[in-house]
Amino acid sequence: MNKNRDNLIAGLTEELAPVRSFQRRDGMALVAVAALVTLAGILVIEGLWVGAFQGEAAPFFWVTNGLLLLLGMASAGAVIAMASPGVGNRHDAPKWSSAMIGVLPLAALISVVSHGGEMTGFNDPYALHCFAASLMAATVTGGALTMWLRRGAPVSHEAAGWFTGIAAGALGTLLYGLSCPVDSVMHLGIWHVAPVAVAAIIGRLVVPRLIAW
Amino acid sequence: MIAEEATLARLMTAAQKGDKAAYNVLLSEVSMWLERYFRKRVPASQQDDLVQDVLMAVHHKRATYDATRPFLPWLAAIARYRWVDHLRKVYKHESDMLEDNDASVDSDEDVVEARVSLERLFVHLPEAQVEAIELVKIDGHSIREASEMTGQSESLVKVNIHRGLKKLAAIVEKAE
Repeated sequence: MNKNRDNLIAGLTEELAPVRSFQRRDGMALVAVAALVTLAGILVIEGLWVGAFQGEAAPFFWVTNGLLLLLGMASAGAVIAMASPGVGNRHDAPKWSSAMIGVLPLAALISVVSHGGEMTGFNDPYALHCFAASLMAATVTGGALTMWLRRGAPVSHEAAGWFTGIAAGALGTLLYGLSCPVDSVMHLGIWHVAPVAVAAIIGRLVVPRLIAW
Repeated sequence: MIAEEATLARLMTAAQKGDKAAYNVLLSEVSMWLERYFRKRVPASQQDDLVQDVLMAVHHKRATYDATRPFLPWLAAIARYRWVDHLRKVYKHESDMLEDNDASVDSDEDVVEARVSLERLFVHLPEAQVEAIELVKIDGHSIREASEMTGQSESLVKVNIHRGLKKLAAIVEKAE
């Protein structure tokens, strides 16, 4: 071994300080806190749709939000794991969950077309508000996950960007969705899924450059 | 092999708690492991820089090692990441030819392990991309020389390098 490397090792050894090892539960706690902050903001600004908890919501409301929850958790879990790299790691759960959520807009379109209805979903007066509010709600979780990745050692930046966007979009839309009383198949299938897709693209474009190390 | 893994994992866990003696031994062992790991895929003149680069990364990112998981896959992921980054930066084409220094090899098993570890990344790339990266980024030939040697146009060599490195960066963890 050469002298330079010996000196480097001696220097690194000298400056060694104890560190707290990355724990996945810390990452999960961070996401939980981000979700609570988001929920608090939604409570203050929009208020919850209480009727949903009193049996007024259509089943599709719960199906949509259930799938968003699963997608958000699967993607957030993958992002948390990506901070600790390892050859052999697989992060396939978000891919399958994303495919699963893709069924919603498809179901919405088929449902409307098969009933001979008009495409009123694209002419929805609440659409833009739901879309924008969901993206706003995604920023807290997105920021928390990006911060987690910056502290970690992610080696798959593009995938980390996608998954961060998907996780933030899904959890943000889910939490905002608890305030939205429009529970039609078309509205939920299109306007409560589109923010996830857009957040994923934003994540892919923005996050990789923030987590390079 | 199992003993090496277990020993390194134990040393790393101790280092995370601030044990300097364990850390010094760990870095020395890691340094030698990395030398073997990079031997066939980095010109000898650049090996030391790369090993030092990875040692620095290990130091700064030591908290990301999860003591409940094996150590070597964690180290290999960091080594691969820094190696791909190194390939992106290197564009020399004169004297940095890869040297055949098998004479200093410690054991056949280690050589196989080291070669396979990085070779596994290349398995996922089309042959033309592997050829372009090996000739220009590892063996140090110019784009024109690589073009003449492979029969690919110069533009195609550049495209193959670009796409190949992008793919390598994406499969750092997956390829095993």
